[in-house]
Amino acid sequence: MLEARRTVQALAALIRVSVATAMQYRSNLLFGLATALLVDAMRVAPLLLVYGQREQVAGWELPHALLVTAFFFLLFGVQAAVLEPNLGEAVQAVRSGALDLMLMKPVDAQLLVSLRKVDASSLFPVVSALLVGGVALGMTELPGPVDVLLAVALFGSGVVSLYCLWLLAICVSFWFVRVDNLRFLLWSATDAGRWPIDVFRGPVRWILTAVVPVALITSFPAQALRGAWDVELLGTSAAVSAAFLLGSRWAWRRSLAAYASASS
Amino acid sequence: MHLLRALPDIFRVSFAGVVAYRAEMVIWILTSTMPLIMLALWNAVVDEAPLMGFGPTEITRYFAATLLVRQLTSSWLLWELNEEIRTGSLSMKLLRPMHPLWVHAADMLAAMPTRMVVLLPMLLALVAWRPELLALPDAWALAVFLPSVFLAWLLGFLVQAAFACLAFWLEQTQGLFALWFGAWMLLSGYLAPLEMFPEAAQPLLGVLPFRGMLAAPVELLTGRATPQTALVDLGVQLGWTVVGFAVVRALWNRGLARYGAYGA
Repeated sequence: MLEARRTVQALAALIRVSVATAMQYRSNLLFGLATALLVDAMRVAPLLLVYGQREQVAGWELPHALLVTAFFFLLFGVQAAVLEPNLGEAVQAVRSGALDLMLMKPVDAQLLVSLRKVDASSLFPVVSALLVGGVALGMTELPGPVDVLLAVALFGSGVVSLYCLWLLAICVSFWFVRVDNLRFLLWSATDAGRWPIDVFRGPVRWILTAVVPVALITSFPAQALRGAWDVELLGTSAAVSAAFLLGSRWAWRRSLAAYASASS
Repeated sequence: MHLLRALPDIFRVSFAGVVAYRAEMVIWILTSTMPLIMLALWNAVVDEAPLMGFGPTEITRYFAATLLVRQLTSSWLLWELNEEIRTGSLSMKLLRPMHPLWVHAADMLAAMPTRMVVLLPMLLALVAWRPELLALPDAWALAVFLPSVFLAWLLGFLVQAAFACLAFWLEQTQGLFALWFGAWMLLSGYLAPLEMFPEAAQPLLGVLPFRGMLAAPVELLTGRATPQTALVDLGVQLGWTVVGFAVVRALWNRGLARYGAYGA
């Protein structure tokens, strides 16, 4: 209990420092917001092209596809602001041996290593997500409270899986020094989350649900918001994120056991 | 004249560099999944009924060609040159008798054979899996394809050179380039065949530089171009190349004049 509280306090302090750092460069922040909004607008454009020609694509209508895009922007923000910077920091710590110091602190080392930094200036896609999501919800009838709760839970479970995937990348860095490229691979794989999962077929669909679990984060919550959730959907999400949690925790332990510090 | 004599050697050095980092090159190529992600969406759209002459076969062929042309025309000059300007390592390169931009150009071109070695098996596998995709374009189209794809590469190189030169004045060049890149993705045919845009937008799309950077060679390769459109495209490409050269030249000379390299 004490350790949990300490961990939360430590993480909160680290995040406060990160945000304060970003706030020092206010004109950068404004410029970043402007570019992010414009680039995101261009990301939505293909959907408008598609739905200019068709009422429905793979069973999804425009507002629901826009909801998927909104969740995709959220994913984008989380990935750019939290997951990616920490991978960089962690790899650096493994390489330089700074990890020794983190291991000695009285908090959970995995969380300390993987959640120590937030790049607040990368959180702009969240603004785009709110805009697109707002427009999408305005085009349909509002979802009921149960649907909203489920959507939040599904999104959370998806984010946990994605966090675990990035943690696995950190684990890889214990053996291979150059994991920079892994980062780009993860980014381009998660790009597939921008469309409703039903446009993908066969093994790709399975991969995007269980291996690079972007469908869990974007399509599943959107599915819940349109009231089209069922037991299978909830079960899949829970099973995949549980498997990711257990698997990545196991990999983290194995990696730590193999860690020989940079100085020894 | 220095340049012509040194070119084979520059090429050899660059090629050795590419071979040394071949694994990295493979990952870079694997990260360009965007055409495949777009293919999934458009495939779902044209699956029910063909659209603008695109059925499932044509749309797959289109995005396979996009993947190929994108690989043939991409460069990473912006990041390299930005780094050189920021850190001041450009000073050293300026001392050499060759223009740094030419050396970079040779660098990027030297990577082409390796890209082909990675790409060709992928394309062959695709054709083996779906033989109907293979439709050899007419001889004239293949002949025009070579200058067209070269000009597309050159345009991309010049654009990155121009944005990189802005680093002599600004710090935010990559944010600005993100804007350009967003517009490029949408208007070059990377996210959707340009035919899918509304009729009213077509004349504008034809004269903007983006079409010549991707869609023009892609349409030659997929047999969608006519001799007339191909000629117009070539003309527009040449026009923009001249503009690009002029802009880069002006920016480079003025930038160098005020370049007080760090530590120089």
